Amino acid sequence: MSSSIKEFQSKEKPEGYYKKLVNGLSEVNKQLGAFLNINETIKDGFPFSVKDNLCVRDVETKAGSEILSGYIPPFNATCVERLSSSKFSFLGKTSMDEFGFGSFGLNTMCVAKNPFNTAYVAGGSSSGAAVATSILKYHVALAESTGGSISNPAAFCGVVGFTPTYGAISRYGLVDYANSLDKIGIMARSSEDIRTVFDIVKGPDSYDSTCVGIKFTNVNNKKIFLIKQLLDATDEKVRSEFDKLVSKIREMGYSVEEKSLEFIEKAIPAYYIISMAEASTNLAKYNGYKYGFKNENFSEEYNRFFTESRSKFGVEAKRRVVLGTFVRSASVKEKYYRKALKVRSLLIREIGKLLKNGFILTPTMPITTPKIEKAVSLTPVEAYRMDILTIPPSICGFPHVSFPYSYPNGMPLGAQIISDHFNDYALLDFVKSWETSFRYKFKYNIGDIR
Amino acid sequence: MKIGLEVHVALPTDSKLFCSCKAYSEEPNSSICPICMGLPGSKPMLNEKALMLGVSIAKALGCKVPEKISFSRKVYFYPDLPKSYQITQVDAPVGHSGTLEADGVSIGIRRIQLEEDPAKIIREEEYTLLDFNRSGVPLVEIVTEPDIKSEAILRAFLTELKSILYYLGVDINKEFKADLNISVAEQRVEIKNITGTKNIIDAAKYEIERQNKLVSANQKVPSETRSYNEAKMITVPSREKESDEEYGFIYDPDLSEYSTASIKAKKAVFASRIAKEYASKYKANAQTLAELVLFNRDALEMIERWKEKYEMKALIGSIELLEKYGIMDINERAMARLLDMVSKGSYPDKETLMKIYGGEEVEAKQIDIKLIDKEISEYIKRNPRIVEEYRKNPKAINFMVGEITKKYKVHPRIISERLNLIFAGK
Repeated sequence: MSSSIKEFQSKEKPEGYYKKLVNGLSEVNKQLGAFLNINETIKDGFPFSVKDNLCVRDVETKAGSEILSGYIPPFNATCVERLSSSKFSFLGKTSMDEFGFGSFGLNTMCVAKNPFNTAYVAGGSSSGAAVATSILKYHVALAESTGGSISNPAAFCGVVGFTPTYGAISRYGLVDYANSLDKIGIMARSSEDIRTVFDIVKGPDSYDSTCVGIKFTNVNNKKIFLIKQLLDATDEKVRSEFDKLVSKIREMGYSVEEKSLEFIEKAIPAYYIISMAEASTNLAKYNGYKYGFKNENFSEEYNRFFTESRSKFGVEAKRRVVLGTFVRSASVKEKYYRKALKVRSLLIREIGKLLKNGFILTPTMPITTPKIEKAVSLTPVEAYRMDILTIPPSICGFPHVSFPYSYPNGMPLGAQIISDHFNDYALLDFVKSWETSFRYKFKYNIGDIR
Repeated sequence: MKIGLEVHVALPTDSKLFCSCKAYSEEPNSSICPICMGLPGSKPMLNEKALMLGVSIAKALGCKVPEKISFSRKVYFYPDLPKSYQITQVDAPVGHSGTLEADGVSIGIRRIQLEEDPAKIIREEEYTLLDFNRSGVPLVEIVTEPDIKSEAILRAFLTELKSILYYLGVDINKEFKADLNISVAEQRVEIKNITGTKNIIDAAKYEIERQNKLVSANQKVPSETRSYNEAKMITVPSREKESDEEYGFIYDPDLSEYSTASIKAKKAVFASRIAKEYASKYKANAQTLAELVLFNRDALEMIERWKEKYEMKALIGSIELLEKYGIMDINERAMARLLDMVSKGSYPDKETLMKIYGGEEVEAKQIDIKLIDKEISEYIKRNPRIVEEYRKNPKAINFMVGEITKKYKVHPRIISERLNLIFAGK
């Protein structure tokens, strides 16, 4: 699959192209809920959408939360700024789970639906970004992942989702979920488009001290590892499709080996402890008098004032604030927060050893796309377990790409390829070679130029 | 009795600790940005100058400086805290385990940490205002061990610390802010948020007395947090703030670890130690010398430059004189003339001093001590009650000293010395 960016730039745009694009998109968006707002003034450049937790100057940025409604940042996120000054144009903000807290895009007011069948979820938390990528012919999405929020919806919506190494893209302008885990990434319809955007937005930024200028490598040992514990956690239907993918990859010249990593299941509790601890401090600033939702009742006593303002959080946000506050309390900090940090270090070391010799391949999600009504009925712990495959690379900051590989019953399935820190380009090359023999399917092609 | 201190000192950097806003601005809310306002999406960036100063202070106080330092978030809800957490240091602060020598007593320094100041709250009767200019101003918090055992040592410690900070360039005419921990008996009482050296000492004085009274009356001293009422000069119980349990410290994941290896720390100057050494080596009054150099780098520089060449007493007298008229750039030849005059007991007035400074030759006359003694005796004869008044209050003679100084252009100290002799002789 070739670069749609180059194709778009080489094509003559018919008159009123952008107006038609906006109208067409607005119409479809009514059913799919991908965009929270659409930039009607777009008039040139290659369109890009922005997940709602990334700041766009003078555009409402809520991170999917009611508590931030009315927050208009006076600055652009670094990635938005860099794309905007490179012949790309802002098309709109995409919907997401509140602050990124969710796996199905349901924890918010504007629920994005799967473009292949609206009875199904789009995935989460970058639900809108994936739907937007799946319905727009010429478009790339700036998204963000903390524990799999790019891979997951990319897989359910049948697009390519790239989560780079932690620290490769500046987080300046990102409304934080868990700062040591948050990674800004890219969704597109091809690895080529992702590469083009990544080349523009990556690299050091004087506004983010965790965004470093480490040199990228491009190492491919033609070796794929499968992880037993992760395959065991996958349901049968997904497993049988994934086995077919593995055969194809063997045919591509890769040697495949299954490994057992017992401790890998510890990644889930460690991830949720670290992410909730950090999230509970990040969410402390939303207290109703500076930005977003404003509590006008200034004469109230502090504690009452803060409590009242913070009742605007959704249920999942409240749950994470309470749990996150608990795990970092002095008396239990050793038992939870510090232990989770140790588990993370161990995971980075042990998984890192494997990645020195090859890629890790997993299904992206352990289940096929669930119906919305089914996803709604999951308990929080059942929902957290859905992240079992995306959390290991996420908690370690390893780069990973989810790509479509099959369409059983007309719904896309995604697989996830993982590599070592800063070996991001090797992954994009891998997906590019996959794309030479596999054609992705889309139900919509809004903005197509005939 | 045990006293421990937590002293907060604002650092004299151009910009704030985590953003490029000016650290000190007058017009309220004129020096603010998305970072120090805690706007969603913004991230902190460490001011390297503040880190350098923090490390310099740590090294000056003999602290161990970790190879890598880190920052933590201290979470609490208060209107002056834009992010509802303060970025501070917990696990790897800029320094720990140091000591400071004050009046011959060694005071342990538990830790020194860098942190951001919250915004300023201005309370009016009908409303409250917030000035975010102060939000993000770099602070250093110096935490001592409870090694201070008297009010005198507390005073000496504060003076010594101030002098060390002054020579490190940490001198922005901002008063110390401190929390005091005082336990006369077993229970510890914390007095929060005292501003200014004088108030710190007064608060300690009051609190020691208060606790002593309770102990003598066989009453328990409750462990509590108190605050100092400056107007009434008393301490009163205050609202309990959050404990460490509720602060829930975690690493600040927006800030990486910072290596201290390549930091060029400023060299510390221990003026009180130098004063003590020179006083004994060059036969001068230690206290006079200390008072001259503790907060005056020009004076110390002149002492260093001329200490071998001239008599220390005359040198001190000359520098005091120069300081009085704000002259700190005198050349060698003029200085030699001034020293010649002062060592002969003369005390030039402003006019004469400016002549010397300007390079003119001024004749240095030897002061006739007998004449001074005679003048003093006559003064006493005219005002016989002065002796009695002097015994009650030594300041009573100031007027007389002033008069004679003017008349004979003699150093006031010489007159004081003669007076003491004469009074002692009677």
